[in-house]
Amino acid sequence: MNPLLEARHLTKSFPGVVALRDVSFDLRAGEIHALCGENGAGKSTLIKTLSGIHPFGSYEGEILVDGKRAEFRSLRDAEAAGLAVIYQELALVEEMSVAENIFLGAERRRGPWVDWDRAYADAAELLARFRIELDPDTPVRDLGVGQKQLVEIVKALNKRSRILILDEPTAALAEHEVAILLRIVRELRATGVGCIYISHKLGEVKSLADRITVLRDGASITTLPAAEADIPTIIRHMVGREIKDLFPRNVGQAASLPGGTTGGRPVSSGSSLLQVQNLSASPDAESPARLQNISFAVAAGEVLGIGGLMGAGRSELLQHLFGAWGVRQGGEVTLGGDAYPEPTPRESIRRGLVLVTEDRKRLGLHLEQPIGFNLSLSSLDRLNPGTFLDETAEEPANRRFFDALRIKAPGLETVVGGLSGGNQQKVVLGKALMTEPQVVFLDEPTRGIDVGAKLEVYHLINELTAQGKAVVLVSSELPELMGMSDRIVMLHEGRVGGEFTRDQFNQEALLAAAMGNQSTVAG
Amino acid sequence: MTTTAPALPAAPRPSAASTRELIMPAMLALIWILFALLSPQFLSPRNLSMLMIELSVTATLAVGVLLVLLPGHTDLSVGAGAGLMGGTAAVLVNQHGWSAPLALLVSFVVGLTLYAGLGWFIVKNRIQAFIATLGGLLTFKGVFWLVIQSHTVPVTRDGRDNLYSLLTTYYLSPAAGWALAAAVVALLVFLQSRARARRRAIGARVEDFEVAYLKTFIAAQGIALVVLVCNQFRGVPLSFVILCAVATAVHTLTRHTPFGRHLYAIGGNEEAAVISGVPVGKTVIIAFTLLGGIVAITGFMQTAYIGNSTTTVGDLMELDAIAACVIGGTSLKGGRGSVLGALFGALIMASLLNGMTLLAVSPELKFIVRGLVLAFAVWMDVRFGKK
Repeated sequence: MNPLLEARHLTKSFPGVVALRDVSFDLRAGEIHALCGENGAGKSTLIKTLSGIHPFGSYEGEILVDGKRAEFRSLRDAEAAGLAVIYQELALVEEMSVAENIFLGAERRRGPWVDWDRAYADAAELLARFRIELDPDTPVRDLGVGQKQLVEIVKALNKRSRILILDEPTAALAEHEVAILLRIVRELRATGVGCIYISHKLGEVKSLADRITVLRDGASITTLPAAEADIPTIIRHMVGREIKDLFPRNVGQAASLPGGTTGGRPVSSGSSLLQVQNLSASPDAESPARLQNISFAVAAGEVLGIGGLMGAGRSELLQHLFGAWGVRQGGEVTLGGDAYPEPTPRESIRRGLVLVTEDRKRLGLHLEQPIGFNLSLSSLDRLNPGTFLDETAEEPANRRFFDALRIKAPGLETVVGGLSGGNQQKVVLGKALMTEPQVVFLDEPTRGIDVGAKLEVYHLINELTAQGKAVVLVSSELPELMGMSDRIVMLHEGRVGGEFTRDQFNQEALLAAAMGNQSTVAG
Repeated sequence: MTTTAPALPAAPRPSAASTRELIMPAMLALIWILFALLSPQFLSPRNLSMLMIELSVTATLAVGVLLVLLPGHTDLSVGAGAGLMGGTAAVLVNQHGWSAPLALLVSFVVGLTLYAGLGWFIVKNRIQAFIATLGGLLTFKGVFWLVIQSHTVPVTRDGRDNLYSLLTTYYLSPAAGWALAAAVVALLVFLQSRARARRRAIGARVEDFEVAYLKTFIAAQGIALVVLVCNQFRGVPLSFVILCAVATAVHTLTRHTPFGRHLYAIGGNEEAAVISGVPVGKTVIIAFTLLGGIVAITGFMQTAYIGNSTTTVGDLMELDAIAACVIGGTSLKGGRGSVLGALFGALIMASLLNGMTLLAVSPELKFIVRGLVLAFAVWMDVRFGKK
């Protein structure tokens, strides 16, 4: 019998990066096939290729459905062939009811009109079939994340999908919601639906899946029956790579950046510039805490790495401390020796704390504006003590950072939107550093930039610490985190999963901490 | 427009943008040539003086509205607000016997206060400016009619001219006009050379002396031409001087202060602005407050132009102002636009209206033509604005 879905020798490249190398993969009817791998291993690319988001022709190799060659040019093509993808980012219309969402794009009709009675009846029936206790009348905005996920699944099933792809479906769910979701996935398997299941929760994967495929660096490393795979083995396959000397963490380097000391000796550690104690915070006043009981400290001249899986709360932690996310529920923060209970971005910058965000296009840059506008935006108050802009202060400041960061562009007047990712990132970094900060938060500072630019960012981190600044580095890439940090705090579901000093760095241990030490629990 | 501030040497821009920047002057030239051919009176000193007064009203308001369009907001209430502030001052003068300067000052402060409140309401409650100012439009309109008791209230008492009535009827004497022009040119030269000296001091690139000289020379000639034409009629209209003052102030604010940078930053990418430490709420409230002052000034000029406050003063002015900004290249999403552009847009709208009135075009057709020109300008902007 032919597999339901098969990928043969898929290779998918982006400019400068090979995201998938010769990956072969198959999914049988009535099977749950789990995909495991670190962030950036190629899971998302594989799914996007299988589901037509990377259209036919943009990859090498072939995709077969029921043994027949498929050429999906869009997600719609893939859906027509019986494939449904349920993403982490939900694709529901918040203002519509459950029933309206389920039938969105496939409205129940009577002639030219929507047959609402039938839509609501059918929705109720579908929900009942999977024993989901939801009123089809409820507006989706009133549902919790888990309930929304279930609505998404029902919506997919309504399209009579035979192949279901679930991308981290339980990342944001509470325990009892996870149970409902896993039950439904198992019931679907029994009806012959094939399911590709992506999850970082290895315990869940092992108990649910029939087979497990591990991806690493875009290649498929192994496919094993779940029964034969124990969790340490899976982790070893996931990590598996040796760290080359790509990470030049160098503690004693001389500073050459504007505003730095010239001594070249690191400020001796011990004086902590930022101290966080028992911090808890939630997205808004009503929600449960997303960050719980977090404590850490960063000293002058030190790089503190913060790791964790997607959704562990790394970005939220940085943004919260900076004043751009959430409501504090408890805990104490000390910045440069002073208590700092109510952060706002403006106040943080004034006190010498600056954040370089992960999403540079959305949160970091004014893409339509020139480089100079972006570089000095956070420093206008400092550069212009009077009423009017002082060009004689601003332009030299811009010029210094433009040169020191080696931004490759015709000049300060070049519009930022046209620069390469690496150069855009340098502009964001320059904007942050021009504020003369003492504590620098870097959230995924090397995401989406090429190797050369990455190295420059690493050198920059060294220079910052050489100047006696404290750096907090968030990264999804464990090798980067281990290569550049002096200490690492791993977050797990909004809590500290473990703290490691440099001599304790070990990929397996870090990953286990990020997963809440499941290996010891479930292994 | 020739008195706009001290410009620092213009930045080199991508070619798509410069195409876009040439469209508006070309359109304006086309409109003027067309009207000049169809009606000989169009270019007469008398008509051009009238056009300048009409322009003063539309353009002043457009420059004010620009302040809230830049950070991505909008304001539909400015027409009703202009009526209200003009009416309040008229009632104080005509019915309560206040002196005109005091009445104007009080009404101006009312304008600042109302719009500060409006801005605060929008910022604190995160209400869309479109809806909040639509509410403002209706409320201000009602209060306006209450204030003037839905009657016609002259801006004078016992028919004697006062500061209020003179806003659009006073003309600078020829000598005063020349003196003012000379002062403005001298100021331009001073600011220009100071900016050059400063740039040279920090080792920045300085425009060739010839280019800078030529620019200043052309600006001076433009100013002289305006005074010359005006002096052939009655002199430079006071309202035009007011427009130039307001436009210069707003230009300086938007281009040469941190506040102005913040306006562009908020409109371009509000989330990034917040992360960059821009005081978003405060900046937007200040923008609305300043707009309130400009709305009051516009209301005074428009009411004075008509001669009395009636229920229709200010009708549809908000749309003219927004249209002028958009024709001048302002993005309704925020982050893009300039005082110079808004002035150009206002000049196009005012010229159209003035020329069509000269040609005795029916009111119906006037509306249709203005609508089509607006649509055309936006289409051109989209067509040539993409990079």
